[in-house]
Amino acid sequence: MSQTAIDIGAIERELRQMWQEQAIHPNAGGQAVIRALTLNLIARAPDDAWAEQILSVAPGLTAQHPNRTVIVIDRPGTTVEVQAQVQALCTLTNAGRTQVCGEQITISARGTPAGQLAGLVLPLLVPDLPVVLWAPGPQPFAQPLVQRLYRLCDRVIVDSTTFTEPLTELAELATFEQKAKGAPAVSDLGWTRLTPWRELVAQFFDSRTFLPHLHRIDEIVIEYAAGTVVNPVAALLFVGWLASCLKWAPLEEAVGVEGETIRLYLRRPAVGVGPAAIRLVSVEIRPSLSPARAGLASVVLRAIDNQRAEFVVAQTDDAGHARTRATVADTPPIERMVKVDPVTLTDLLSSELRLLSRDRTFAAALNLAGSLARRLTSYHNDPL
Amino acid sequence: MTMAFLDNPLRTGLRMGRTPEPCTMVIFGASGDLTRRKLVPALYNLARERRLPAGFSVVGFARRDWTDESFRELLCEAINTNSRSGPVDPELWASFAQGIYYHWGNFDDADAYRRLVERLAAIDRERGTGGNRVFYLATPPEAYPTIIAQLGTHGLARSSGWTRIIIEKPFGHDLTSAQALNAEVLSVFNEDQVYRIDHYLGKETVQNILIFRFANAIFEPIWHRSHIDHVQITVAETIGVEDRGGYYDTSGALRDMIQNHLMQLLCLVAMEPPSVYDADAVRDEKVKVLRAIRPIALHDTVRGQYGPGSANGRPVRGYREEKGVSPTSQTETYVALKLFIDNWRWAGVPFYLRSGKRLPRRVSEIAIQFKAAPTMIFADTPLNDLEPNVLAMKIQPDEGISLKFSSKVPGQPQIRPVTMDFRYGASFGVTSPEAYERLLLDCMLGDGTLFTRRDEVEASWTLLTPILRAWAEGPPLPFPNYEAGSWGPVEADEFIARDGRSWRRL
Ligand SMILES: NC(=O)c1ccc[n+]([C@@H]2O[C@H](COP(=O)([O-])OP(=O)(O)OC[C@H]3O[C@@H](n4cnc5c(N)ncnc54)[C@H](OP(=O)(O)O)[C@@H]3O)[C@@H](O)[C@H]2O)c1
Repeated sequence: MSQTAIDIGAIERELRQMWQEQAIHPNAGGQAVIRALTLNLIARAPDDAWAEQILSVAPGLTAQHPNRTVIVIDRPGTTVEVQAQVQALCTLTNAGRTQVCGEQITISARGTPAGQLAGLVLPLLVPDLPVVLWAPGPQPFAQPLVQRLYRLCDRVIVDSTTFTEPLTELAELATFEQKAKGAPAVSDLGWTRLTPWRELVAQFFDSRTFLPHLHRIDEIVIEYAAGTVVNPVAALLFVGWLASCLKWAPLEEAVGVEGETIRLYLRRPAVGVGPAAIRLVSVEIRPSLSPARAGLASVVLRAIDNQRAEFVVAQTDDAGHARTRATVADTPPIERMVKVDPVTLTDLLSSELRLLSRDRTFAAALNLAGSLARRLTSYHNDPL
Repeated sequence: MTMAFLDNPLRTGLRMGRTPEPCTMVIFGASGDLTRRKLVPALYNLARERRLPAGFSVVGFARRDWTDESFRELLCEAINTNSRSGPVDPELWASFAQGIYYHWGNFDDADAYRRLVERLAAIDRERGTGGNRVFYLATPPEAYPTIIAQLGTHGLARSSGWTRIIIEKPFGHDLTSAQALNAEVLSVFNEDQVYRIDHYLGKETVQNILIFRFANAIFEPIWHRSHIDHVQITVAETIGVEDRGGYYDTSGALRDMIQNHLMQLLCLVAMEPPSVYDADAVRDEKVKVLRAIRPIALHDTVRGQYGPGSANGRPVRGYREEKGVSPTSQTETYVALKLFIDNWRWAGVPFYLRSGKRLPRRVSEIAIQFKAAPTMIFADTPLNDLEPNVLAMKIQPDEGISLKFSSKVPGQPQIRPVTMDFRYGASFGVTSPEAYERLLLDCMLGDGTLFTRRDEVEASWTLLTPILRAWAEGPPLPFPNYEAGSWGPVEADEFIARDGRSWRRL
């Protein structure tokens, strides 16, 4: 049944009735039902495939962040079509005795003007709770619905792993983040996926004996899983993160691309005194065919000058682990295996939903990665 | 020493807490129950969550004739049965187990410590642990002085990195013995190297008491004698003495539960806001509470001992029939007491504490009962129908906070109490880490906030030792005086009823 308009009042009534029924007829196991809402999540699905992904994520999300999700399936089309559906999403708590429920409203639209969609979404938001807009897929900021809504949101979540023109879109994302300072905050699930990598690299330098080597890194090699689209965004964000933490500055014009390998140079502050006043860090980023799962495949940090030191984090052949190795001069390498569970979309989202304000570390990394991406796009015309 | 972390520029903005520097943990009593059930599973789970640095090593010290290999196998089984994350991940375990060693020796054998010195140095070289050490005393308390003295003699209290020592409960069995133990420890270690464990403080919900009080501005103004009628702290266990009968019979509920766990809960509820959240500021405030407690009158205490009865619907034997317990034992398995904190905030507000074994439900909670509405303006409802507001902080099982208040019954003139419930499980669908995980990690990071300081232990013993003495000197009681599976002796109900109050039905 297709319609061209939706009655907001009807949706509201349906929601109210849903909760009243729960209060009068507690479900079979005599479990108490708790309605808990901590935020509004607007999820824009660019197509049916994404709609399905979003719908599959929603129940898991309820367990960690009970929310009202408004899913907007925003398909293009020539005829206008719009429908809405309301649903309670419940999960059992650990104790197994209470159910926590959130709400899900699905607006399925085709060819509907962004203005009309936004007009539907806004009155459905629960007042006085944060509003998060999740816009997966390519070109998020070019979508009319996103353009209409983002100003009213506390956070916009995109996913750089779904970009189709990664370098250009990375640069755009960086520009948007800079411009958007304050409200809304920006999150990228591509960045969220880097968290374990950042942790593992950072952990090397919690050790007092290794810390000094961090300031004399000369070389970085990052490999990432080659997908259908060559997408070096994660690797660039990782470099952006290291560079912003360690105060490395990108060197003008010092970028190069050979085939699919990217080479960059950054200037790092001098360690101590002497002729080594300016030091260059060379960065090599390349796709790798072997890794067991998407994302980064390995990160190598090396200090070559004087005493050699090397710090490596690499995916293993199975999907659940990584190996780390630290080697300094002639001492025996310190190796270990760590557990890195494959993350689900639910984990990634829920980790971003925990943040309340702007993620400054991300902003700094993105800013730097964005400027690297700009240089790379102007350097060559090859479709990287 | 903790400065090293601040210096790691990659740590800013990481979403996970910092990891400790590589170190070696030496566990004394490594063949014991605690090591198997709690410590090693906790360490493994920390490793699993990437909270431990590469190179982290464990040396298990005990007297059985074991090898590194057999020790590792045993621990692997222990994790398989006891870890909250289920059976080990084989690859992760293989890597973690490389850093686990067994060190054979008797606690009083000097040679074993000489070998330990060499072994630790070798581990420092091979695994990059930089002289950082934690000594964990998971042994019977009688062994503490021997081990501490041996560590001192063999220069193990200092190293090129940091050295810390974790001491398990019980910390003394009265004021004199606690002071003596403190003196022994502090003749070898500095106070800032000493971590006295009270695993209650490692529970997330216990830490949340402070967050609840000091991160929500609406409660602090009414957290005061002018609004609070009284406070009840309950720690009820369903278990009996299990196989610890021999030990328990020399201890009892006052030493085993009140002196440490309930006193800690009391401090967290009653303390003033610390100016900063750091180890000393927090513990300074806790000590102030303990010192402000008026000596507890003997007639403000009630003792009980369980007799035969039931637990979880099955018949169980009485305390005196338990293994290792004297058939004429006068040891209390239940204590209820009332105390007053003589300061501006709490003067005149009674705190009722109770704890016991073989009670009907396992529950720990703190209940703040507010004063009743001063007059009844709703003519149709008699005043005594109105229940006072109660704020209950539940620590286990269903962790959460509930507030009871009065509301009108729809369509009728009556007023009924309703509860507003907040449950951690419901709002954050993640499982909390085990208390030992948090505490082991904090110690390795050099954060003593959740450990008990010397003056805290002594202040608590100062308060309770006179009661122990009076009980010992008084006439024997007609034990057992409560049935296993009941809410304790009738005397406890009469005791609180004399004040016109009653225990919460839990
Ligand atoms: N178990 C718990 O859940 C728990 C909870 C809270 C606090 N605690 C405290 O933790 C401590 C340890 O408890 P536990 O239950 O693990 O005790 P346990 O099972 O009796 O273990 C004691 C350990 O010490 C060893 N040991 C004793 N005397 C020794 C000696 N002279 N030389 C070498 N090794 C010796 C024992 O070795 P053998 O095996 O060869 O006898 C065993 O490994 C106690 O202070 C207890 O109060 C335990």
